Amino acid sequence: MLGRGTGVLKRDDWLDLARKLDWDLSYVSEKDAFPEVQSGRPWLPHAEWAAWDEPFRTSYPEYVAGQHAKEASVAAVREAVGRVEDYQRLPQGWLEGLKLHAATLPLAEFAAVVGNLRAARFGRDSAWRSAALLGALDEMRHAQIPLLLMHDLVRWDPQFDWTHKLFHTNNWVAIAARHLSDELLLASDAIEFAIATNFVFETGFTNVQFVGLSALAHGVGDKMFEKMVGSIQSDEARHSQIGAPVLATVVKHDRRYAQYLLDKWFWRSWLLFAVVTGFSMDYLTPLEHRTSSFKEFMHEWVLDQFLRSLDEFGLKRPWYWDTFLEGLDNYHHMVYASAYSYRASVWFNFVVPGPRERAWLREKYPASWPDFDPIWQRISDRWRESDPGNDFAVHGTAIVSFCDLCQLVLSNGTPRANAANVLDHGGRRYVFCSAPCRWIFEQEPERYAGHKGIVKRVLAGDAPANLIALVQRYFGLDYDTWGKDAFGGDYPWLARPAKSAKSEGRQA
Amino acid sequence: MIPLYGFLEGDTIGLLVLAEADDSIAEVARKLQAAARLRAAIDGPITVLYEGKPVDPQSTVADAGLQPLARFDVRRGPAA
Repeated sequence: MLGRGTGVLKRDDWLDLARKLDWDLSYVSEKDAFPEVQSGRPWLPHAEWAAWDEPFRTSYPEYVAGQHAKEASVAAVREAVGRVEDYQRLPQGWLEGLKLHAATLPLAEFAAVVGNLRAARFGRDSAWRSAALLGALDEMRHAQIPLLLMHDLVRWDPQFDWTHKLFHTNNWVAIAARHLSDELLLASDAIEFAIATNFVFETGFTNVQFVGLSALAHGVGDKMFEKMVGSIQSDEARHSQIGAPVLATVVKHDRRYAQYLLDKWFWRSWLLFAVVTGFSMDYLTPLEHRTSSFKEFMHEWVLDQFLRSLDEFGLKRPWYWDTFLEGLDNYHHMVYASAYSYRASVWFNFVVPGPRERAWLREKYPASWPDFDPIWQRISDRWRESDPGNDFAVHGTAIVSFCDLCQLVLSNGTPRANAANVLDHGGRRYVFCSAPCRWIFEQEPERYAGHKGIVKRVLAGDAPANLIALVQRYFGLDYDTWGKDAFGGDYPWLARPAKSAKSEGRQA
Repeated sequence: MIPLYGFLEGDTIGLLVLAEADDSIAEVARKLQAAARLRAAIDGPITVLYEGKPVDPQSTVADAGLQPLARFDVRRGPAA
């Protein structure tokens, strides 16, 4: 638009003509056009949302130009260092973390397209809807980029096929990931999506993934991963800004509900990130490339900022804050040791922490590591007694148990006191890994009560009770893809006793 | 068959233990210890807890009142 005799209008003078597009409805009521079931609660007339704004205020031409430059930059790095040979030079443990990260990320991002599109239709202000539309386009590339990059690696290592496959299986991690993604991204109304995804998940947690893990990628020399997550993070930084102004309005009208959504989604997000990021940072990244522990990254990139945000909105810390702080010292260690001993049930390989790694973990986790060290000593001793590559000699055989809320293993609390607890509701018995998971269930039992976890599927005869059959027939894995010890238990620090000639002869 | 959630002190995960109604509590504890031994073991006396209270190891699962999907714990040391 041209102003007479003044040339092109300044951006701020015309931008709202393209993003503040609400008008007074006359053929339908506002409540019919924006029903609570889709838009969320508290339901408020548009006047309460009319001042909605976010700091990026991106126009569509700006978006297209910016994304074009980002795509070109990712493509250039892929051209330079995205070949199989480039990945083959990376440390083995790091590659295993890459498989974990790559499988849990892209289809969840695809689900986030749906969540953003719901907000692009049912968000209560047009500027919110405009920002959410760009968010949907962002999430599309966040799904496509890792699918493309990892697809090139499938011919080398079939475990990378799980980048696309995971969410389409009944693998226990997929059941947990879908349980979270379905609620967080597919089923949430626009308000819950903005607070849960944009504010808690993206503002609160993704920094530890996209900044912390990106820094480690730089250290190990994985330029492709560093570029990918850096590119994704630049999108997240923009569309995550949808959350704060939505939260501000909800706090103003229904502070209790705002607190509930924060408490619920901080816990659910924490459990996911503890596994996906905690494993990589404290176990799978080679020791010489670690800069900080997962706990230190969490304090730097999540806790400080989250607590500042709570203060800004006049909200309280989640009621389970002490439990969460205890979890920072324990939860990902509990799950890693458990998952290591059931590694054939997942699609990536694990590394045993050796003496140097255990000394590092003892230094980083002085309060909790003394409880975990004996576990790794037992596992190391078992490998010492077993032949290299004989994974099932160092593997669990029982069926493990899963939380009826988060669907993850019952590994909350500490080795001294597991936090699992049982609840009878509606004639059925439920087990939860923690008090917060039980609390979330009890707030909306009708939302969760019908879901059948792995144990209930086994008991109902829907899934096999034998572990190998469960892994192969239900979790979708086979010998080529199920998780193993990344080094076959053959570690330089693991001295095996020499076999006597007599025993060698017996074996022969 | 009665499925139970078993938790061994020192372990990192709850395990599904399949018990019979006439199994002794000591037998159920032994099953849990066997299933967890890759990660954790208790040398010496143990105590089995159900709903936070010690259970007589000679009693049966049925007598002790363990219902399907109940939690039980095997902890270090003799019952106080």
